[in-house]
Amino acid sequence: MNLDETLRMAFASLASNKTRAFLTMLGIWIGVASILAIVAIGNGGKALVIGAISSGSQRNVIQIVPRELVAPGLPQPGQVLSIDDSDLAIAASFSGVESVNETFYGTAIVQSGDKSDNVTLFAGPADLDSLARFVVVRGRMFTPEDVLSHRNVAVISQSLANKLFGSGNPLGAVITLSGVPLEVIGVAQPEQASLYSLVMGSDNLYIPDTTCEDIFPNWTASEMDVVAKPGINVQSLANRIVLALNIHAGDPSAFADSSGLLASVAALIGKVTTILTAVIGAVAGIALLVGGVGVMNIMLVSVTERTQEIGIRVSLGAKKRDIVFQFLVESMAITSLGGVAGIATGLAVGVLVRVFTGIPASVPWPVGVLAFVFSASIGIVCGLYPALKAANLNPIDALRYE
Amino acid sequence: MIRLLGVTKSYTVGDQVVPVLKGIDLEVHKGEFVAVMGPSGSGKSTLMHIVGLLDRPTAGEYELNGASVLQLPPNHLARLRNQNIGFVFQNFHLIPRMSALRNVELPMVYAGVPRAKRRARAMELLEMVGMVNRAHHLPNELSGGQRQRVAIARALANDPAILLADEPTGALDQQTGGEILRILRDLNAAGRTVMVITHDRNVAQAGQRIVHIVDGEMVREEVLHEPR
Ligand SMILES: Nc1ncnc2c1ncn2[C@@H]1O[C@H](COP(=O)(O)OP(=O)(O)O)[C@@H](O)[C@H]1O
Ligand SMILES: [Mg+2]
Repeated sequence: MNLDETLRMAFASLASNKTRAFLTMLGIWIGVASILAIVAIGNGGKALVIGAISSGSQRNVIQIVPRELVAPGLPQPGQVLSIDDSDLAIAASFSGVESVNETFYGTAIVQSGDKSDNVTLFAGPADLDSLARFVVVRGRMFTPEDVLSHRNVAVISQSLANKLFGSGNPLGAVITLSGVPLEVIGVAQPEQASLYSLVMGSDNLYIPDTTCEDIFPNWTASEMDVVAKPGINVQSLANRIVLALNIHAGDPSAFADSSGLLASVAALIGKVTTILTAVIGAVAGIALLVGGVGVMNIMLVSVTERTQEIGIRVSLGAKKRDIVFQFLVESMAITSLGGVAGIATGLAVGVLVRVFTGIPASVPWPVGVLAFVFSASIGIVCGLYPALKAANLNPIDALRYE
Repeated sequence: MIRLLGVTKSYTVGDQVVPVLKGIDLEVHKGEFVAVMGPSGSGKSTLMHIVGLLDRPTAGEYELNGASVLQLPPNHLARLRNQNIGFVFQNFHLIPRMSALRNVELPMVYAGVPRAKRRARAMELLEMVGMVNRAHHLPNELSGGQRQRVAIARALANDPAILLADEPTGALDQQTGGEILRILRDLNAAGRTVMVITHDRNVAQAGQRIVHIVDGEMVREEVLHEPR
C-alpha cells in the first residue's frame, strides 16, 4: 500500500470525527505554541540586553576608570583614586589611539531659586556629548571656545530641567553649583535607552572641564576616555592600555575598562535569560508531554472502536505493516497538524509581543523546524503502541467483535 | 484446489481444552460449488477461517493449489488471501465510514493497483451486482441485500479463484437471500470455486455437493449434481 493512499485514509478517518481530532490536536497545539512563545520572548529579552550593551560598547571609545570608582568602598592605602597627566601620556603613546580625554564625574548639588537637586556632574571637553553619550535636544552644546574661555555654562538633562524648572523654559536660566552661577545653555537626553544610561542615572549636569577645575580646584579626573583609530580592535587595545597603566601604578588592579565591566554584566544577564527560558520552556514541555499522552489515549480508543474494521482489512489482505502504518500515519497527522498550528500560534505571539511591548521577540528558524520534527515524532512515539496493538489483534476475534 | 487433511482446532478456555474441529478431511476441486452444512456451533465458521487463511489449525495439513500453506510467513499468507480468496460474511462486514465504491476498492488498495484502474474495476463490479447507482452511498444508507451485493463485489475485486461465504443469506429475507444465492451460482457457473457455509438446507441445495458437519466432525457427504 502506498503512502499517498495511507495519507488519504488517515485524513478521511480524522475527518469522520472532527471534534475528537481537533481536541486531540489541541493538546499538541498548545504545547508547541507555548514553547515557541517562550523561546520567542526569551530570545527577544536577550536581544534587548545585548543590544543595550552594544550601544554602550560598540563605539570606539574606551572608558578607563580607577578600580575604586567602579566598586565604591574605603580606598586601600596607596590605591589609585584618580587619573593624572602621566596616565594620559601612557594611553596616548599607543599607536592605535586617536585621542585621549579626561572626564570628571561625581555627585554635586545644584540650586535654582529655592529648588535644589542631587545631580551627577560630568565635566569634559567640548565633545563630552559623544563621550558621555547624550544629545542636546534644546539649546546648544558648549563649544571649544566655551571650554578655552572657562565660561560658566551648563547643559542639563531633561529630567533635571523638569525638576528645577517644571514646564518653564530652562534656557538662559541661572543655576548655582557650589555657589558659582552657571547659565543653562542646553537641555540633553541620553543618546538612546541603554544599560549605560541606566547605570549613569538621569539627573545630570554637564559643564566644561576648565570651568569644573575653577570651581573644584582639587578635583582630579575620574575617567579617561580613549578614542581608538578606525579599524583597531578596541577590546585588545583597551586590555593593553589597562595593563600598561596598572604596571605604571604598580598595582595589578589599579585601573579597569568600565565598558568591559558593562559587557560582563550584560553577558551575565544574557546567561540568566537563557537559563530562565530553558526552565520555563521545560515546564511548557510538560504541556506537550500531556498532549502526547492524550494522542496515545485517543489512538487506543480508536483502535478499540475499529477492532472489527481491522479484522475486515486483514481478511481483505492487509499486512501487519499496512495496519501499523495506517494508525501511525493517523497519529502523526494529528500531531503534525497540531505542531504546525502551534508553530503558527507561537510565531503570532512573538509578533504581538514585538508590536505591543517593543521586545524584539523572534523564533530562530531551526527552532521552528525542530518544533515540527519533534511534534511529528510525538506522533510516532505515541502512536506506535496503539498501532502495534491494532496490528497484533487476532483477525478472527476482531471480526467477531461487536 | 483446496485440500484439508486431518485438520483439528481446539481452544483452551481456562485450563480446559475445547475441541472445535476434530479431524476434517475435505477436498474442494476447482470450479466446484460446495456447501458446508451443520447446526450452529458445529465449527463451520472455524473451518472457513482456516480455509481462508485467517486462522491456523491446531494440527493437520492444508494444501492450496497443491502447495502446503501452513508453514508460510504472515505476509505471504496476507498476499495469498488478498489475491486468491474472497470473503462474504453474514453481517456483510463493510467498513462503515467508507462508501460502497471505496469498500470495493480496498482489496485492490492492498494489492497496489493504481487508482484509476482500481476505480474502473470497482465500478465494473458494482455494475455486475447491480449497485452502480449506489456507488457513493455509505453502508448504513443501504439495505441488507444491497450491502451483501457490495460485499460480493468487494470479494471479487482481485478476481480470486475462491469465494468463501459464511451464512451469506443469514441476515436477509427469503427473497433477497435467493437473489444473493443466484449471484453466487452465476459466479460459480463462470468458473469460480465457491464454498458456502450455512445451517439452512434450502441454501445448501444451491451447491453441487453438501458436506455435513456435526460437532466438529464430517458426518456425511451428499452429491446433488455432478460438477459441470
Ligand atoms: N476464541 C474461541 N475460544 C473458545 N471457543 C471458541 C472460540 N471461537 C469459537 N469457539 C467455539 O467453537 C465452536 C464453533 O464455533 P463456530 O465455528 O463459530 O461455529 P458455527 O459457525 O458452526 O456456528 C463454538 O462452540 C464456539 O463457542
Ligand atoms: Mg458461524
